[in-house]
Amino acid sequence: MSGENEMNDKEQGNPVLVIGAGVAGIEASLLLANSGRKVYLVEKTSYTGGNVIKFEEVYPNMDCATCMISPKQQELLANENIELLTLSQIAAVSGSSGNFSVGIKKKARYVDLENCIGCGACYDPCPVEVDNEFEEGLSKRKAIYIPCAGALPNVPVIDTENCLRFKEQDCQACQETCVFEAIDFTQQDEELQLKVGAIVVATGFKSFDLRQTTQYGYGKLSDVYSAMEVERLLASNGPTQGQITLRNGEPPASVAIIHCVGREEKGYCSSVCCMASLKLSHFLKKKLPEVKITQFYSDLCIPGKAYQEFYEEVKESGVDFIRATVSEVSQAGKELALKYATEDGQEKTLTADMVILNPAVEPGVNSTKLAGMLNIPQSEDGFFSEKEPDLTSIATAQDGIFIAGCAQGPKDIAETVAEAEATAGRILSLSR
Amino acid sequence: MEEEFTPRIVGFLCNWCSYAGADLAGATKLDIPSSLSVIRVMCSGRVDPVLVATALLHGADGVLVAGCHPGDCHYREGNYYARRRFALLKKTFETLGLDSERLMLAWVSASEGQRFKEVTNEFAKQIKQMGPNPMRKKISL
Amino acid sequence: MAKRIGIFVCECGTNIAEKVDIDQVIAAVSPLKDAEVVERHKLLCSEAGKDFLKQSIEEHGLTHVVVAACSPKQHEVTFMNACEQAGLNPQLFQLANIREQCAWVTPNGEEATDKAIRQIRAAISRVRYHNPIEKKEVECSPDVLVIGGGIAGIKASQLLAAPNRKVYLVEKTSSLGGKTKSFSKLFTGMDSGLSLMEQELESLKANENVEVLTESEVEQVLGFLGNFEVKVRTKAEDEELSFNVGAVILATGFELFDPKELPQYGYGKSDDVYTSLEFEEMNLPGGPTGGKILLKSGKPPQSVAIIHCVGREEKDYCSKVCCLYSLKFDRMLKSQLPQAKVSHFYSDLCLPGKSYQRFYEQTLELGIEFIRSAKTEVTPNGKGTTIKYETETGSKGESVADMVILIPAMESSRDAQKLAEMLKLPQDGKGFFVEEHQLLSPVASAVEGVFVVGCARGPQSISESIVQAEAATGKILSALVPGRKLEVEVRTSEISESFCTGCQTCILVCPYGAITFDEAKRVSVVNEVLCHGCGNCVAACPSGAASLKHFTFRQIYQELKEVLQ
Repeated sequence: MSGENEMNDKEQGNPVLVIGAGVAGIEASLLLANSGRKVYLVEKTSYTGGNVIKFEEVYPNMDCATCMISPKQQELLANENIELLTLSQIAAVSGSSGNFSVGIKKKARYVDLENCIGCGACYDPCPVEVDNEFEEGLSKRKAIYIPCAGALPNVPVIDTENCLRFKEQDCQACQETCVFEAIDFTQQDEELQLKVGAIVVATGFKSFDLRQTTQYGYGKLSDVYSAMEVERLLASNGPTQGQITLRNGEPPASVAIIHCVGREEKGYCSSVCCMASLKLSHFLKKKLPEVKITQFYSDLCIPGKAYQEFYEEVKESGVDFIRATVSEVSQAGKELALKYATEDGQEKTLTADMVILNPAVEPGVNSTKLAGMLNIPQSEDGFFSEKEPDLTSIATAQDGIFIAGCAQGPKDIAETVAEAEATAGRILSLSR
Repeated sequence: MEEEFTPRIVGFLCNWCSYAGADLAGATKLDIPSSLSVIRVMCSGRVDPVLVATALLHGADGVLVAGCHPGDCHYREGNYYARRRFALLKKTFETLGLDSERLMLAWVSASEGQRFKEVTNEFAKQIKQMGPNPMRKKISL
Repeated sequence: MAKRIGIFVCECGTNIAEKVDIDQVIAAVSPLKDAEVVERHKLLCSEAGKDFLKQSIEEHGLTHVVVAACSPKQHEVTFMNACEQAGLNPQLFQLANIREQCAWVTPNGEEATDKAIRQIRAAISRVRYHNPIEKKEVECSPDVLVIGGGIAGIKASQLLAAPNRKVYLVEKTSSLGGKTKSFSKLFTGMDSGLSLMEQELESLKANENVEVLTESEVEQVLGFLGNFEVKVRTKAEDEELSFNVGAVILATGFELFDPKELPQYGYGKSDDVYTSLEFEEMNLPGGPTGGKILLKSGKPPQSVAIIHCVGREEKDYCSKVCCLYSLKFDRMLKSQLPQAKVSHFYSDLCLPGKSYQRFYEQTLELGIEFIRSAKTEVTPNGKGTTIKYETETGSKGESVADMVILIPAMESSRDAQKLAEMLKLPQDGKGFFVEEHQLLSPVASAVEGVFVVGCARGPQSISESIVQAEAATGKILSALVPGRKLEVEVRTSEISESFCTGCQTCILVCPYGAITFDEAKRVSVVNEVLCHGCGNCVAACPSGAASLKHFTFRQIYQELKEVLQ
């Protein structure tokens, strides 16, 4: 190519590996692919969109998350420069910037991506029913499944942990129903070797495990929920199609939202929960106009030009904000009782039908293993470390390996997308 | 002798949200009235009152215009204009003594298959009750 | 020319075939005079199906194709590509949705078949009026204009510059470096901002592909993505430079809210009430006190009060970085004056992210006092100042301090206003530029090809400003590749010169500013590069002069006519 900087000649046009097909991975992949680069997008699950597609609406403008993301997902699936490898994980990495060798372990889907047209006829006949992880266990799925209606790619996967065929039983129920001969039990797990010039780590986040706490009654008291569970309840393609009810089927008359669950254990502020709590309040009020909502928080974290207005709007709608630490949630007859202490030392109790806990944001699973393979440092809390934290959050100590989104640290969607675009900027730039 | 009235409803659906919502209703196998015929446009903002009036003058018993929820328009503001035009059209109909109830504007997002089913079934029921469109004339515009 | 329409009905396995009586459909459609072929196929989107389509097009010399199958959102592109491969203009194609919106949602087979026939007839009627719109490509300049020579502007310039991509960096003042060069320390590593900036400027100077224009202002930016015509006036030579660029990055930074507007903070009344920027300048080795923290009297302070959120209520937003840099101030204070008493008066501690809480906790260990105050007042008391504060629960308190550092809100630079008008960039009610999409396109502005990074976008840290500069780089490098033309949307709006009355209603309603007014001809003209094809102008046009390609009135009317039979 004429006029290119000779120093980076061997890197020019080299494929890029993007790890994680959430919002960050999708954005980075599209920018790189549209410039002409080949992109390998490796995704651990069977679907794209990561965590963002679990939200019905996102703050501060209450955009419909699926409406927002699905054009990007479709662009991704249609882009010829992007090779999407679902059910895949990184097995080994060697080499250096411009010349990485990456080993990928690709699990078999047992459903042919080309032949399957996504009609869903195979779900009914499957005899196995298990908790649907995407729906936070609030509904069931079969052993052959897609996580939710509208998931992309719209092709199911066979769960090898629960499918009877992997338990020595010769069940053919799904295959017998498929008229497109898309179900293929002979598929094998694969090992792939990729040669790439740069790597983007966009492995996202998971929530702090609320079962590690005892004081809030999570897992014991039936109407104590995690924020993610409530997101699924609010979703129109979720387990209750957007209905908010307690376990007994009745809508709650009062809801208490507790911030910062896990903050003390983790030692950092998860950045997004104050805003997410405001969003939940706003949404709950829309669905149940009479509901009484109380938020328990320590410091309100609503940085930036757009968020304070939203907070004021929510406050004006009648949501109570109490600066206090909740020490215990217990059952009090039909309701839940929250014992709390305000900053000036007063101890009080509040009752509510439903309690929503906001868990801390942690790095996505397997981050330690991945950090080891990529040879990039992690901080104590498991997030990938940037080389020069005060300068840019996306460059790691390894030349050619970049991080974006919650893999680097808890942040909102706008910051995530900016980081993803920034990795593309660094990779495409000649001067790095 | 009364013939069974089979309504003809035309739906102008925007490509990004409502058409996707209608597709989702399909993917989840919900029941949508067969009286509805969908015409795809890129944005609800494309639907000008002339199109709607033409539909009614050509014998449509009901016209549904569906777009993204306010704030979610793929083209930023198209649905706000659709909302205004529709309101004006409805008012014009009322002023002229025409059945403005035969017009419906709905916001359906890409994940609202269920809502699409509810909106269309509700509308079809309403139109069935109203009976055939008395405006069935052949007029060229 | 006689039309030879090919109609292909997909069975989609059993998905369509089990509900829709395809034989009946074929029988209903075959009699049409220009129906050259009417065929069914098990699965048209498969490789075999696509081959079948292509073969049929070539064999029968088809002029138009209708496929009755799934949703266009699934396979419109698939079948259009097949048409193109068979030598047929892909716009001469229409897909009738008889799966998602017919077979799958209509339990009664008879009704489903009727509906399918209606949709297919509508598609056939419509496709007759399709036009063979050709793909459109536009030449574009890969060069970039960066307005603002602070950290964001400098970083963007360095990343973008290349032998085949020139960057023009325009800075209003006489020196580059923005605010960063005034920071002797940066949070959280406490490294020198001044040194950082010196390094950056050295490497920038060595970069021959960046043309730095200091003491210069942008006078004009006309055009659109790929083709902006820029005029810059340099004060030094009083010269006007003209050049073309493909993209523009706005990195005009911030200014501080003027605390004089809030007399309760005592700014200007007491000698030793400083803004944070003034305190920063005091700490610069080349500053007014040689880097020493001193009161106006020349003595070091013994007690310092840091007042947060000055102007927050008035501006109605949180400036994000202040809690953090106030912690940085604690460290700078304690490093020079270990015995000084340092107290913060704040409302909420904003420490988002994985590292900031730890930074706060470690700073606390230096012996800093934090007082949560809902209302704070600073009054001179002869020796220094008295700080009166009131907590959320209503209890009042008093404190004294020799030196007060006010943390004012961060505002967009005042030049932003002028540039907003020049570039036709919408600003939000707070003076910051509005993003193309707040979440999905945070560094792009509402005008395609113009990007906004750093504090011009909203208050943020240096790190975030750099990330955004890198992000804008990513967007530009992805879209404007040297030597590659820009491919633009083909289904755009067009305005008939003869019918246009020059009312300019279309210009008002276009979300993308894609329509301009030709003063000479007194008509509106659509810029096909900027047009996104929403059709709003068509609906707004009172004289029917505007029409949307591929979604014309006639085409839609044909569909309408058929479904109402």
